[in-house]
Amino acid sequence: MNKQNFGYTILFTAVVSFVFVLALAVVNEVTADQIQFNREVRLVRSVLDAMGVEFEDDEHARELFNDVQQVEQNGLSLYRFARNEEVLYAKQYSGAGLWGPIRGHLGIRADGERTLGLTILEHDETPGLGGRIDEPWFQEQFRNKRLVDGRIRMGSRDGQGDFVEDSGEFDGITGATSTSQAMERIINNHLEEITRALGGAS
Amino acid sequence: MSSAPAPGAMLRDNLWTNNPIFMQILGICSALAVTNLLTNTMIMTIAVVGVMGMTNLTVSLIKSLIPRKVRMMVQTLIIASYVIVVDIILRAYLPDISRALGPYVGLIITNCIIMGRAEAFAQQNPPLLSVWDGVTSAFGYMGVLLAIALIRELLGFGSLFGYQVMPEIFEPWIIMVMPPSAFFVLGIVIWIGKAIMEREGAPA
Amino acid sequence: MNAPDINLIPLLFASIFTSNILLANFLGMCSFISISKDMQSSNGLGMAVTLVLFLTSGLNWVVYHMVLVPLGLEYLRFIIFITVIASMVQIIEMVIDRVSPKLYITLGIFLPLITVNCAILGVSLFLEIREYTFLQSLVYGLGSGLGWWLAIMLLAAIRKKVEKGPVPAALKGPGITVITIGFMAMAFIGFGGMLPVQ
Repeated sequence: MNKQNFGYTILFTAVVSFVFVLALAVVNEVTADQIQFNREVRLVRSVLDAMGVEFEDDEHARELFNDVQQVEQNGLSLYRFARNEEVLYAKQYSGAGLWGPIRGHLGIRADGERTLGLTILEHDETPGLGGRIDEPWFQEQFRNKRLVDGRIRMGSRDGQGDFVEDSGEFDGITGATSTSQAMERIINNHLEEITRALGGAS
Repeated sequence: MSSAPAPGAMLRDNLWTNNPIFMQILGICSALAVTNLLTNTMIMTIAVVGVMGMTNLTVSLIKSLIPRKVRMMVQTLIIASYVIVVDIILRAYLPDISRALGPYVGLIITNCIIMGRAEAFAQQNPPLLSVWDGVTSAFGYMGVLLAIALIRELLGFGSLFGYQVMPEIFEPWIIMVMPPSAFFVLGIVIWIGKAIMEREGAPA
Repeated sequence: MNAPDINLIPLLFASIFTSNILLANFLGMCSFISISKDMQSSNGLGMAVTLVLFLTSGLNWVVYHMVLVPLGLEYLRFIIFITVIASMVQIIEMVIDRVSPKLYITLGIFLPLITVNCAILGVSLFLEIREYTFLQSLVYGLGSGLGWWLAIMLLAAIRKKVEKGPVPAALKGPGITVITIGFMAMAFIGFGGMLPVQ
């Protein structure tokens, strides 16, 4: 058969495409459950992390998560976790960063006075600049911090944690003004929603 | 490339004297962005080793069947398929790394080195030798990128593979985490590499 | 999942300057370094990249959201995107050849180079990850193209000077070029201070 023949070319391309696409479909099918499982574990870890609840491993996290309720509080969907007379809340947040959506969970104490923690599940900020929001020091600074007038402020100084305790001020990222401002706006919007919803309940 | 290359000579050639990054700065687009952390660079370059070996094997196996007109397209299809496999595996078993690498895994498809080796080597040589060529070329690529990542992570975070190695008083160099440093470090690595090569008398 | 509410003007500005696809995301380096020896070729390639980026970002958005997502075939996106890009480049080549032979002489030889330009595939992948709307995709594609064009023109101009300077032998060629790009990247990040609040 002539290899340069038009019919052969079409046939060959079709066969090769078919074989490869079929193989990919199989690989995709085989791993689909695992990918779904990873996604769930990640969500569970993120919610607990945002509430400042400590866990040992994935199994432990899933166990703890069984006690987390999803509640509707004045029309706002929240995660609620009651433990040792303490009530913790977390909300899934999302908003526009410089490039794309930033998503994660924001934890807050029932009295709305302090944040419990912040996690970032998804973002697509520039690597090395805004992308540094996914570094632990950035997220850790939201651990159990007092809010001033129910808001946070993003400072311009870059450091390894907030620099005045309980001032409601957090470190932004040098060279990534837009991402820092976007984070400030997203967090404040969601804080406002949460405090309104929680306040209305009590 | 001569008609019957010796595997030993190929190793030296692909790793050093003809290193794709030193000589032509090929294929760095897909990987330079992740060189601020060693772990990410490691996974990324291992993926390249796998994709390159498998692509060369496949191209070499079916080389006599590929019609000339659609050669490039078929090669691209083969590369893209293996990259998708890598992407799915990362998503399933290394979800954190997969997220950190983001779109850069997909960009392995446009890594010029992979198509270059498939075209220049696997099209003319038997399968096993082609795999060897693919793997060694990818190791040459891996070496340079790991060198860059080592410098960037050590100075930028004070850690190696995520483990703190620098003393507490060490102030991390923020610039090393930011994009421009990748270019500076790459330039310096090329400089050192070429200087050593010249001293050896190899044509640089 | 709703599309992110991202303003188009900052997006355009950011994709040209502060987060230039080449200088911040390292995409499109291969042809960038080999072509930037010459101003005229740089201009031609920059123009071609901008055109292809603009068109493929729109087309890949349509293909992804109208075909792949409804069929549940998202995992095939790499293959589909690269095929769309390759076909698009072919079509543009033919159209330009018919419509304006003069333009074809300037752009024609660069078009085949573009299929393997990582910037094109990169932008398509970013669109999908960032969940852009159609309009945002077009703006981002255009901005990235213009940014790439600007960067290659600047580098070509700088290289002309640098080549005449006293550069250590081992640093000549790619070495000094990469370091030059590093300085450009720093300068471009400096535009960050000008970016209006978004």
